[in-house]
Amino acid sequence: MQIIIFFFLWDAIFITNKEVFGYDKIKIFTYAFVLIIVRAMVFSSRSVDVAGQIANGELTNLILKPINYFWYWITRDFSSKLLNIIFGVFETLILIAILKPNIYFPSNPVYILAFLLSLIIAMFIFFNLSMLTSFVPFWVPELSWGAQFLMIVVIVEFLSGASFPLDIFPNTIYQILRLTPFPYLVFIPIKIYLGNFSYAVVAQSLVIGLIWCVILWKIMNYVWKKGLKIYEGVGR
Amino acid sequence: MDRAIIVDHLIKNFEVTEKQPGITGAIKSLVSPKTKQVHALRGISFTIQPGELIGFIGPNGAGKTTTLKTLSGLLYPTSGFVEVLEYDPWERKNEFLKQISLVMGQKNQLWWDLPAVESFELNRAIYEIPTRVYEETLNELTTLLEVKKLVNTQVRKLSLGQRMRMELIAALIHKPKVLFLDEPTIGLDLIAQQKVRDFIYEYNKKYNATIILTSHNMDDLVDLARRVIVINEGKILFDGPFEDLTTKFAKEKIIKATLSKEYSIEDFEKIGRVKKLDFPEVIISVPRSTTAVAAAELLQNFPVEDLTIEEVPIEDVIRKVFKNF
Repeated sequence: MQIIIFFFLWDAIFITNKEVFGYDKIKIFTYAFVLIIVRAMVFSSRSVDVAGQIANGELTNLILKPINYFWYWITRDFSSKLLNIIFGVFETLILIAILKPNIYFPSNPVYILAFLLSLIIAMFIFFNLSMLTSFVPFWVPELSWGAQFLMIVVIVEFLSGASFPLDIFPNTIYQILRLTPFPYLVFIPIKIYLGNFSYAVVAQSLVIGLIWCVILWKIMNYVWKKGLKIYEGVGR
Repeated sequence: MDRAIIVDHLIKNFEVTEKQPGITGAIKSLVSPKTKQVHALRGISFTIQPGELIGFIGPNGAGKTTTLKTLSGLLYPTSGFVEVLEYDPWERKNEFLKQISLVMGQKNQLWWDLPAVESFELNRAIYEIPTRVYEETLNELTTLLEVKKLVNTQVRKLSLGQRMRMELIAALIHKPKVLFLDEPTIGLDLIAQQKVRDFIYEYNKKYNATIILTSHNMDDLVDLARRVIVINEGKILFDGPFEDLTTKFAKEKIIKATLSKEYSIEDFEKIGRVKKLDFPEVIISVPRSTTAVAAAELLQNFPVEDLTIEEVPIEDVIRKVFKNF
């Protein structure tokens, strides 16, 4: 649905303009279609259940088993992503058949490789962010849903580039955003796919993304340990 | 290793937020949350040898479950020392988790929509049990608990008693050396209770497993536990052999006599405290030390047809223990 609105809106804009915010017609439509796939890969996850598990004490079962809790969720996320990619590909193919847009495919293997790498970074950043918001019920058991809503709808949808390309913001805001982890979820991978970045910027982006992976992983582990200390395993 | 479990001066406090009823209460607790310290465990100490089967007795909120959760590594102790199988439970090392199991009466780990055997299969993978060993254990457990025919039935279709037995199998498929059972017979009928009880006894014998069992059901403890720990308000009141509990806390014995002539209550009052007089039966409670004298007196002065001397029922002893403290 979103994609159709996106399509017709930009289609109308490009009737009078050749280029908007540095995007031509092909690039903006490619953005929209790659977005479907990237969204399916990055945002689909099962780990949203973690908050509920903490709030209702179901966590007890899992942490008493000799398994790594994070790996448990990474594998569940992975299977969820796989399923979503299948649907995402179908969706894309159908829309391409209906709308017949011109889509850009990168031919430079460096960009393709960097794109794949940036996707892995994106998934890992999202996993950490999603886990972190899921830990809120350790302290406020009633707040499980609110935190996730704030995180997923407001921050992720808006700041990740899932709604519009982030470089249509004024340059200062865009440069600040690039230092936060959010653009690395959607915007940066798509930009790398489009080949809009120079090699230097690609490298820089991957490095910043990786740094965020490490920082968020450390924070997530720290908060997890803190949370477990006050976990009471209620209701069971 | 001569100690399976060591607990020394274990303290656990919880922080609880209090909220007044209604919307004003909600706002008040948001602005200045009032927290209260709950002292779940106030410095308990005990040690348990490998292979012991211990009963944990205490009223609701006494700290039984808190103790079990701390021993299995779920709760972080506020202070004190805990060691299980020479591990610190809190670290939850895989080697430690593979050797323990915590079963709670109201908790389920089985997958609701799948047959129980699928959950067992998952545990087999998680605990890395060799297939041959797994088959043997499963066969043995299902035979002992008499649920062989039910393993392929969807869990949601099982009765509570059947499900509880499946839970036990899921918890024991990796043959834990230390087993924490929290109210394992809760909500079960008498026959199912007996089955679970027999099974726990067998398991303890066969694998020399260390078992801590909590229950409100005195039959569980009478049948199973050779040693009991009585806990109330986070403190240990008694720790020792089951029989000693009676002699220590029941200062009196019960004399039951069948009479051939009717008497009034006053006539028996000089012998002991009359608990019940319902001709032809009289029940008198007398101090333990003078039981023999009282019985002789009763036989001499009254036309007694039959006389028995009994210990105070265990339920009454426990009730008394909790009342005194």
